[in-house]
Amino acid sequence: MNNRMRAALVFSLLLGAVAVHAESGPTDYSAARLYNLANSYARAGKPGMAILNYERASLLSPNDPDVQANLRYVRASAHLPPETPDAFDRVATIASPLWISWIGVLGLAIAGASVIAGQLSSRHRLLRGGATLLGVSMLGLTLCNAMALWPRFHQGVLIAASAPVRVSPVPMGDPLFTLPEGEKVKVTAEHEGFALIETRAGRAGWIAHSNFAPIVPR
Amino acid sequence: MSSRNQSLRLAALGLLAALVAATALADDPLVYATIQPAQILLGESAQFTITNLGDGTNPITMPVVAGLKFEIIGRTREVQLINGTLLPSSSIVMRVTPQIAGIFTIPAVTPKAQPLVLQVNAASSAANVPHPNGRIAPPPPPPPPILSGASIPKGVRLTDDGSAYVRLGIPKREVFVGESVPIEIEVGMRSGFVSSLNGLPKLSDDNFALNNLSHQPERTEKLINGEPFVLLTWRSTLAVIKPGAFPLSAEVPLTVKIRTRPKQQSSLDDRFGDPFWQNLFGATVPKDINVTSPAQELTVHELPAQGRPADFHGAIGTFSIASDVSPTKADVGDPLTLRMRVTGSGNFDRVDSSMLEHFGQWKTYPPKSSFNTSDPLSFSGMKTFEQPVIATKPGVQELPALTFSYFDPNTRHYETARSAPLSVSISPALADSQVAPQAPTTGLPENKYAAGLRPDHVETAATSSLMPLYLQAKFLPVPSIVVLAFAAGWASARRRRGVGEPEPDRIASRTAKRVLGQMQGAARAGDAVLFFDSARTALQSVLAARWQLAPEEITTTEVEGRVGAENDIYELFALADEAKYSGRNLNATDFARWLRVVRRHLVSDKTT
Repeated sequence: MNNRMRAALVFSLLLGAVAVHAESGPTDYSAARLYNLANSYARAGKPGMAILNYERASLLSPNDPDVQANLRYVRASAHLPPETPDAFDRVATIASPLWISWIGVLGLAIAGASVIAGQLSSRHRLLRGGATLLGVSMLGLTLCNAMALWPRFHQGVLIAASAPVRVSPVPMGDPLFTLPEGEKVKVTAEHEGFALIETRAGRAGWIAHSNFAPIVPR
Repeated sequence: MSSRNQSLRLAALGLLAALVAATALADDPLVYATIQPAQILLGESAQFTITNLGDGTNPITMPVVAGLKFEIIGRTREVQLINGTLLPSSSIVMRVTPQIAGIFTIPAVTPKAQPLVLQVNAASSAANVPHPNGRIAPPPPPPPPILSGASIPKGVRLTDDGSAYVRLGIPKREVFVGESVPIEIEVGMRSGFVSSLNGLPKLSDDNFALNNLSHQPERTEKLINGEPFVLLTWRSTLAVIKPGAFPLSAEVPLTVKIRTRPKQQSSLDDRFGDPFWQNLFGATVPKDINVTSPAQELTVHELPAQGRPADFHGAIGTFSIASDVSPTKADVGDPLTLRMRVTGSGNFDRVDSSMLEHFGQWKTYPPKSSFNTSDPLSFSGMKTFEQPVIATKPGVQELPALTFSYFDPNTRHYETARSAPLSVSISPALADSQVAPQAPTTGLPENKYAAGLRPDHVETAATSSLMPLYLQAKFLPVPSIVVLAFAAGWASARRRRGVGEPEPDRIASRTAKRVLGQMQGAARAGDAVLFFDSARTALQSVLAARWQLAPEEITTTEVEGRVGAENDIYELFALADEAKYSGRNLNATDFARWLRVVRRHLVSDKTT
């Protein structure tokens, strides 16, 4: 890789970063703001909204001990079962998604550079092999982070005191069962103001959008 | 002594009174009737008993009541002790089966007795069935009064024997296809002449359909032209099927009693008009007949195509609408109920509305309807449509005026009724709000969630989305640019290296440029020794790489042995030796020639 190619690559990265920053638009979410909002809801006696905002804060700052502690506390106070992340989740969320995004780009650059260096010279094979492995590992971390977070992109939290789950997606549909406030459910489909949800126990039904909120707003 | 005489006198007086009473009963035999129970459902029977206290010589007549069927099921004779007197009695037990629902008056069996009343309720009537908790149903209402002074309705004629008539009442105007037309069928049955009603009235023309004809007609009794008549009145609606002018009449099957004697001889029967006299003389026999009302022409038109509104669903009549919504304050996503009430009279089965469809920032669902009628015909009443609607945006929203189109048969025009617009206040949904809620008021106990919370954080940098950056579209150009840059770099490296080109050749190529530069400098200086020395050194490097030899091993002899003495490389090596050892000079033309030769071998790599 000669000097012109290096310059082109650095210029491209800078251009992309500037483009990302320029298109970021209004800044609405921060881990601290969501955490404080969740605390306010908890103090106001609204566990559903508190859990929702703790979950959102943990997306931006997965290793914040205060967020995790308050989330566990409110869930326990609402008589909801505790959630314990497994080893894969802990490794995959070792950093915030923002950092992991740039780690992935850096890994891509390292792996690419080592491949091109291998084309230009047969020397330093060990160094080039190590660089390639590092780059691929960094890309793999990004992929694992996406796999760990993917289910949470399709989950919602019950924010109503007692939400009826209906057999059909209409307001007049017969209720099947009710869910407690703060329960986390998986959203599998949506139709005309209703969402088809599935509980941790495997029960499914339709719930009005006004009774729950997705963890990642659409 | 005196007291015993007094007792004897009292006993004698009692015996005398009993003898007087017994004599009176013997002189005036008692006939009375009972009915059990006095209130039954249609389909059930009651027991009607006529008891004759006396010697049994008093005639007992079978009562005749239109709508009731009497059947004798038994006769009994017994002796009853009344006031110490043994009196023989005979009874006739009859089963009374109603053919229609209503309140029936059974005539008195003797002129001095009182008539009996039997109330027959329709089987589906829940109002008069026994209450589930065992309470006794309210007593039957008193029998309707007999009205006097009435006459045969205009345009109606009695049957030949004067026993019955049928009147069909229809509107005195032209009607339209699809319209529900209220009609009235009145059957007049002369008391004592009509023994049973054998079916419900029906229309004589198949172009009309009779709706909701009840099994429970309205029953009244009237004196018509001085004769007692029982009037049964059915009210219903007529469904008009196709256009045209049709004669319309109603027909009712009856069983009447036909005289077996000439009318002149039975004038006394008619004068009394009482079944007692008819049965007494045996003057009639039963006969089934169909009584028909005089035909009336009804003109039916098609609905006009001109001016028909797009939302017209076939409603014909006179209607008005009103609307409301509840609640009037809600959050985004909360369902509201929008109601439209259509009130009036007409064919409510065709009253329909889709209410709001795809309206702005509202999510709408198909409405449901319910109908509350104010008459048994379902001709008048109120139809209520309820539509769930959901606001998708916050703010003060206005639901537009609802419309309902119908055809007014009186004005013969399509009309469109409109309701007033409705205003609703919609608040943002709780989940979309970024505003922190109010903390509990000071002084109140804190809730269970607040006690163990960790403190708030200081605000940090914010982002526009909760989605990780690597999944956002705006981030996609960054890895794309990296990939493209490295792909371009890789392709460039491949091109510079050349596919299959050995590495020594690339090095020779770089050396060739330097050597050619030195040769050009030597040629310009006229230094033949330096010129040929540079050329030989360069070619030694190239040939050494190709022949896998060390450059110092590429000598003139080696070149001659490999490429031959005729090759220009060998000639160049020989001239180089000559110039080095003999100091041979070249002119410009020779310099240019040998420069081309060396360039050809070094740059274009055509050496063999």
